[in-house]
Amino acid sequence: MSDPRDLVTDVGLLAEGAHDAGSPPAGIRRAPTGVDGLTTEHLIINMGPQHPSTHGVLRLIVEVDGEEIVAAETSLGYLHRGIEKLAETRRYNQLGTLMDRGDYVSGMHGEQAAALATERLLEVDVPAKGQWIRCLVAELTRIASHLIWYGTFGLDTGAMGQFLYAMRDRESILDILEAISGARMMFNYIRPGGVVADLPAGIDGRIRRFCNGFDAYLDEHHALLGGNEIFQARVQGVGEIDADTALAFGLTGANLRASGFGWDVRRERPYDAYPQLDFDVPVGTTGDAWDRYMVRMEEMRQANRMVRQCVDGMPEGDFTAKVPKVVRPPEGEVYASVESSRGETGVHVVSDGSDTPYRYHYRAPSLFACQVLEEILPGHLIADAVMLIGSLDIMLGETDR
Amino acid sequence: MAIDRFTGEHSVAFIRSEQLFDLARRHSLWYLAFGIACCAIEAPMSASGPRFDFDRMGVFFRASPRQADVMIVAGTVNRKMAETVRMLYDQMPEPKWVVAMGACASTGGPFREYPNVVLGVDKVVPVDVYIPGCPPRPESVQYGFIQLQEKIKAQTEERLAARRDGS
Amino acid sequence: MLPDATVVRSILSAAGVHDAPAEETSLGLVCRVPASRAPSVLAAMRESELDFRMLADMLGTDTGEDIEITYHLRSLSRDEELYVKTALPYDGDLHSVWNTFPSALLPERETAELFGLKLVGHPNPKRLFTTEGIEPLLRKSVPQRSVEEVRER
Repeated sequence: MSDPRDLVTDVGLLAEGAHDAGSPPAGIRRAPTGVDGLTTEHLIINMGPQHPSTHGVLRLIVEVDGEEIVAAETSLGYLHRGIEKLAETRRYNQLGTLMDRGDYVSGMHGEQAAALATERLLEVDVPAKGQWIRCLVAELTRIASHLIWYGTFGLDTGAMGQFLYAMRDRESILDILEAISGARMMFNYIRPGGVVADLPAGIDGRIRRFCNGFDAYLDEHHALLGGNEIFQARVQGVGEIDADTALAFGLTGANLRASGFGWDVRRERPYDAYPQLDFDVPVGTTGDAWDRYMVRMEEMRQANRMVRQCVDGMPEGDFTAKVPKVVRPPEGEVYASVESSRGETGVHVVSDGSDTPYRYHYRAPSLFACQVLEEILPGHLIADAVMLIGSLDIMLGETDR
Repeated sequence: MAIDRFTGEHSVAFIRSEQLFDLARRHSLWYLAFGIACCAIEAPMSASGPRFDFDRMGVFFRASPRQADVMIVAGTVNRKMAETVRMLYDQMPEPKWVVAMGACASTGGPFREYPNVVLGVDKVVPVDVYIPGCPPRPESVQYGFIQLQEKIKAQTEERLAARRDGS
Repeated sequence: MLPDATVVRSILSAAGVHDAPAEETSLGLVCRVPASRAPSVLAAMRESELDFRMLADMLGTDTGEDIEITYHLRSLSRDEELYVKTALPYDGDLHSVWNTFPSALLPERETAELFGLKLVGHPNPKRLFTTEGIEPLLRKSVPQRSVEEVRER
């Protein structure tokens, strides 16, 4: 019986040593210099602004050598809507509507920053109940925003199923926020002096039910995505940002804390009821994408803990200080910042004594994250680029303002 | 078509082929995954999410404009983005429809006073359905899609009636 | 929270800026320096004992006579904040500080574009947010759209 492998000798490249043969069999085309002589080209590739994974209209122009990125540039401005200029014709209690549309997934944090800036100009104190309500809705918004980050981060790595689990939990939070403020996304609830209305009756039962279930759901989310070996292989050790680079590029929030620097605005520049709340601030070590993932998952757990404390410890009293509708702060400048889900969201207001700000500047944490993206992308593959954009949690509404 | 001679106009068993295509088309509208701004969280994300399931209406997102029927313009269009929106619209194959979602895409929205903002996406592409709101609730977006389905049906009926009257 | 004003003044003198006002306002400790000295002052602040290693924010303001640039420095080790302000003429040169603080890369491009300044010493001085031909939108001289213009759309 002849050896079956002898039958294979006429199939060209499949046979052993076929590429050493003098001439290829008829009908087979191959690379002129053989497989080992293949070279890669430098191409300039455009990603976005319409791209399923650029988290908004971020445009990345990358120069690639084969699959590896050699240089990258972000092209911003596809959502430049002039929040800073429009604020010059808005009254101080209308600034929240503009901030809602900046970082649109965590609207309460933006409103809180604008309200804090106005209160510092007016030197007005928020009563205790107002402070606790603000912390409650801010932490709920933090969980909602991190759930979107978690869902889209999984989508970036190819895991499509857990996005729907994240949306399910986010809908519960939006139900609670809708009962409190009246809207699912553009809340317009936190105003200078406090909040616009008291908590509705019976909301604490709903929030407690959510908190009791959420820790188990969070374990489920972590097991689904973080426990997946493919996800771990794609994310661990990729995109390392050391502490010096993070600081030099102005990163704040979870991105900075994952690199080892434990700076949190709620601890270092406390505002509202945070001095009375008991929470831990998770800090990472190496600053790779896996550390950023773990820091944000732990932040969700801590935020859940804070929501429970807020509901249990809600004081009685006024929910807002007596601030006139048309506010005319004295001349001066002030900077106020909050720890939003993306980092330090700051508001720098210059007042000239009239009822509208003279100059309003919105310090957006995602702008600095876009800068560091240009720094860390070279050396990674295109697939890693998509994952790194997701791990830095960039929101284009606040970057472009 | 030859088969139309043997079929009644609205009989279930023998439906005209064009009406059949139209039925298939309007109940499987695939939209381009293209969220510009805040409305993107409500339409492509929440409306397709588990509570307001868009998939039960046959609506699903596609990443490439070549494979999409509908373009939902969800967000403010500014001068830099307008070129991209037009380019994407031109890349979509016929038949195609555009849904202007939210106040910004309809008429400029809360950012209408800024010189860089285009006052509505209908200055750039022809729009079929306008959905008001800032942002519109996911149920509004789904209602907008139902209106789009009615519009497609009405357009097909018009075309068939014109052909019947003309021939 | 507030750095020591005398230490700040001595660093400024060492960097060549004498009699610089360093006063405490509602914002914090604010010092004003001439525009040509801003990069060296910021470098000096970074290397000094006050250890201002982070540029938290950078913005421009149209005061009506000139463009005022504010640099918001932060020292995390000492938990202090400092604001350095310079004044530039309209259409003037904005000297980049990216060598000292890489976090100024994109904010400088944005400020130069939206206020109509010329960016000098920057590795990528292109426009950031708007397309070619659009005027510096944050200047007070550029108006917003009027109600009639919006209604006639």
